[in-house]
Amino acid sequence: MRPLSLPSRRAAVCAAAFLVCGAAVLHAYVDDAMSFAYEAANPYAEKGWIIREDAWGGDLGEGDKKAVTAQLFRGNSYIFFLGTDVEGAKLRVNIYDTAGNLAESKSWQEGKFAYAEIKPGATGTYYAVVEVLSSPEERTGWALVYGFRR
Amino acid sequence: MHTRGAGDLFHDRLFMLYLGTAPSEISPILKTKALCALAGALLVAGKASAEPPAEKIDLKQFPAETVNEVVVPVPSEVFAVLEKLGNPNWRAELGPAKTFPATADRAQDALLLGTVIADGFIAVEAEDSERVKDIGRNVLTLAEAINVRKSVVARSNSIVEKADARKWDAVRREFDGALQDVNQAMAELNDEQLAQLVSLGGWLRGTEALTSIVDSKYSTERAELLHQPLLVDYFSRQLSKMSPRLRGKEIVGDIRRSLDRINPLIEKNNGDIRPEAVAEIHTITSEVVGRIRSKAG
Repeated sequence: MRPLSLPSRRAAVCAAAFLVCGAAVLHAYVDDAMSFAYEAANPYAEKGWIIREDAWGGDLGEGDKKAVTAQLFRGNSYIFFLGTDVEGAKLRVNIYDTAGNLAESKSWQEGKFAYAEIKPGATGTYYAVVEVLSSPEERTGWALVYGFRR
Repeated sequence: MHTRGAGDLFHDRLFMLYLGTAPSEISPILKTKALCALAGALLVAGKASAEPPAEKIDLKQFPAETVNEVVVPVPSEVFAVLEKLGNPNWRAELGPAKTFPATADRAQDALLLGTVIADGFIAVEAEDSERVKDIGRNVLTLAEAINVRKSVVARSNSIVEKADARKWDAVRREFDGALQDVNQAMAELNDEQLAQLVSLGGWLRGTEALTSIVDSKYSTERAELLHQPLLVDYFSRQLSKMSPRLRGKEIVGDIRRSLDRINPLIEKNNGDIRPEAVAEIHTITSEVVGRIRSKAG
């Protein structure tokens, strides 16, 4: 690799610092959102739901949507718990099957939390669509965890 | 279910909330400003309470937006359904007690760790506390071999303690947690690819047990549990993106070929997986798990 000139190096260092800071900020607020997602899930854990320790997360602008994929098994019930750390933000999560049909039995929102419950009609791939309905921030950190019941 | 909109509140009360004073006490200019802000707030609240979700969406609108990272289900998600569909012989699936020592190969050890954690889930289903405790200790030995011992010490101790108390759901959570701790520790060491091998090892061993149970008493409902094209595709993608050094390993090559053989068997007929396909998947996964464990035995 060709060595960089000093101005280029400075620019590269600045860009790298910017990227590192950006990544750190994203990581921090996804971590915060994650703790809210687990807070949403906690009462269900107490009712016998097994909450997975793995999770999805990211950030979205107002009106943006993101679909995440999940493997679900017929015979189990699932709840997806969505959390954000942004005060006043409204998010929602809905579950669709591979044909794009709404597959959840219900979904609802409570403050910083949103939920979707599903009893899959078939084993296979499902899509949890996360959406920021409104937010006072330009970007809204979110995290999604799920739990299942035996 | 919808959130309550700000529009439900009475006009003056809103002024009080927004400005901390009653409308009669503020100037017309301030009133205008406040009304504009209020209109904005109502617009946001209106959007927030939103329309109900679409009954149908075009998934093609998400290609670039779809998160490729897949949360790999833990074996107990599948085992829970199997339990409802019959009474599997979990002890038979577990086989004779055996501890797997670390090898000199970290990739092999990562795969091995995954299979041992999957054994842990099977031992929990069998409610065999001695085996669970042995497996908990084996997890620690293998974690040490891939430099993540520190991250799983607490989990290992907790597995032993909760198995003694026969708190099975808690043990399931600890095994799941052990997987995530390993993933996180490896990410911190820039060893994500080894973490993927841990998940893959777990999936292969879990699928070996699943196919054995389905094969022993076939039903379409049980066989449907194997309809996991997302996961097979995900693991194949992960393997193809691995470093040349890892891809060049014989065991990784074996697994890639195994996944290529499994893929058409589980994708066919939208989940209608025939007995012969179940038997074939079992043969494939048994062979590959055997190879993962051969160097450690």
